[in-house]
Amino acid sequence: MTETKKSPFLPKIGKLLKSPSFIVICILIVMLVITASLQPGFFKPNTINSNINSFAPLILLTMGQAIVIIAGGLDLSIGYATSMMVVILTNVMQKDKPESAIPAILLAFVACILVGTINGLCVGYLKLPPLIVTYATSYIWLGIGLFIAPSPKGTCIPWVRTFYTFSAIPNLPEGLKDLSKILAPGFWLIVIGCIVWGIVRRGRTGRYIYAVGSNRENAYASGINTSKTQLKAYILCALFAFLCALFYAAQNQSGDARMGNPLTLKSVAAAVIGGIALEGGKGSVYMGIVGAIIYSIVTKIIFFADISSSYQTLVAGIVVLLAVSASLIFKFIEKREKLKVVK
Amino acid sequence: MGRTDKMNPLLAFWTKYQKQIIAALIILALFIIGEIATGHFLSIDQFFLTVKVAALVAMFGLCQMICAASGASGLDLSVGYVATIAAIFAARFMDGKNENMLVGLLVALAIGLVAGAVNGFFISYLRLPALIITLAVSNIIQGIINVYTAGAKIDGKPSPALVTIFAKMTGVFPNILIPLAVMAIIAMIIIYKTKWGQELLAVGSNETSAYLCGINVKRVRFTAYVVSGVLASFTGVALLAYMNMAFKDMGSTYVMPSIAAVVVGGVSMAGGDGNYIGVILGAIVLQTLTNLFYALGLGEAGKWVGIGVVLLAVLIAYVREKKKR
Repeated sequence: MTETKKSPFLPKIGKLLKSPSFIVICILIVMLVITASLQPGFFKPNTINSNINSFAPLILLTMGQAIVIIAGGLDLSIGYATSMMVVILTNVMQKDKPESAIPAILLAFVACILVGTINGLCVGYLKLPPLIVTYATSYIWLGIGLFIAPSPKGTCIPWVRTFYTFSAIPNLPEGLKDLSKILAPGFWLIVIGCIVWGIVRRGRTGRYIYAVGSNRENAYASGINTSKTQLKAYILCALFAFLCALFYAAQNQSGDARMGNPLTLKSVAAAVIGGIALEGGKGSVYMGIVGAIIYSIVTKIIFFADISSSYQTLVAGIVVLLAVSASLIFKFIEKREKLKVVK
Repeated sequence: MGRTDKMNPLLAFWTKYQKQIIAALIILALFIIGEIATGHFLSIDQFFLTVKVAALVAMFGLCQMICAASGASGLDLSVGYVATIAAIFAARFMDGKNENMLVGLLVALAIGLVAGAVNGFFISYLRLPALIITLAVSNIIQGIINVYTAGAKIDGKPSPALVTIFAKMTGVFPNILIPLAVMAIIAMIIIYKTKWGQELLAVGSNETSAYLCGINVKRVRFTAYVVSGVLASFTGVALLAYMNMAFKDMGSTYVMPSIAAVVVGGVSMAGGDGNYIGVILGAIVLQTLTNLFYALGLGEAGKWVGIGVVLLAVLIAYVREKKKR
């Protein structure tokens, strides 16, 4: 976090080696190498395209989750909130009526703001414990989703499918066509997410989010409106869920109110793998992306290494356990550094 | 404590058991609303049926309560799959015979002990977040079940004696209430009358002062998770007898309701609180609410919105954290 421009090059490398992100990125590289050697044609445009598409939803949700965790909260409602938005999107749209997509997207966006505001009000202003309160609101999102679509149904208008595949656009220029074959829309959604967070991070709100997450009392004492900051963090998180919902609506072309359930805890686990501490105030949202990729690559490796798919959850569990235990190493290093300073 | 001594006994009783009394009143109110709306909701049969279904949630709720009581935002998401794997192996060893009951039960409890010890080790000794660790352990156990069922069929039946205890009814009275009552009495005695119970509450309410009083904080928290694992596997055996068979995901639907039961029962998830009667009442509230929404014909959607809103209301009413900023 504290980059000193005057420091010479070598100490900077030493710092890099000691930072938690370094080891996480190393794990990512090792995993990518393993996948590349196992998956035939890993570098072919088609494979890259399909990999991006299968990783994108978890990456988007993990980024949202990371923002809330850094702000000292947690969002267990993110999965059901996403599926509720997917249900709204796909059920407001009507077949053969391209203009019905606009109210659908607007309504889903309103739902997204409501989700963020309600969660944010409960955690930020009413000071309820985030773990339980977002768990309670998740039931409300699930109920609303089921109210709209008791069983999976819905439709998606062709031009909205652009959020999943660029082939939905009929006459794309040649140059863009080649690019779109490699970099799927999922990638651009993540880029949008990164830009949004990049702007927020550089502004006042970004600094406040870190301050509130690491110590709410001190943040308050230094004149930060802690409640408002947490509210903003939850709204940002809901925005990422909205991006993810657009992707899912385009991909599945129907809405299932229960679809998001497994994603919730996966997004928390992926954020933790990315080195974002659950106590808040630590880690980087971009590392959440890395964590999500590591988490989703594990299932890929099992698939391509010809191991029976029944091992999937087992290995995923072990990876989470190992990755969380690895965070102890950083704590140990930090402690030693502090002792050195004291000496 | 000193303040309540001087109050009149009725008021003292109210301040002490306020949340439990409110939970009981909510149950009563829900039954009356159901009776007014549908005309066939308030009856002894209906009440006992509700309690019968709620009993299993309440049993899982004990695991959650003990973990929550140990503090450090404790909870145990692995109870569902610990119960499932315990049930699968118990069924295999019991094979529908009474003479194998003890073996099956011991195998199940041993599995729970190991799972609880793994949870406890990571959470207490390595100080890692309970949410993530129990989730990971839950995934690992689910994976083990998947691998096991890919190679072998789940077969075997619970022993008939257990079926009588956990699934049968005596007239309108469901037998499962007897083991639940026994569990409740033992749990209340252990938590309020033994040294371990007092240490558990002390660790949960203030870790630092518990440490300064000479309590081995790590060991107490570790044993809390071990106890939770053993109780989860015991509940798994109860679930096996209740359903009269074991299957892959039999326990997973109980995890989230068990946490909700603790919250609705007015037991603090922040630690240091251990009134199991509250958890049982909380489980009954949730089940009555579910029944009510079905009776009103609102179906799944209404049920989930209702449970969510009630949970939120309960949280706003009691669980406001004491930080002012």
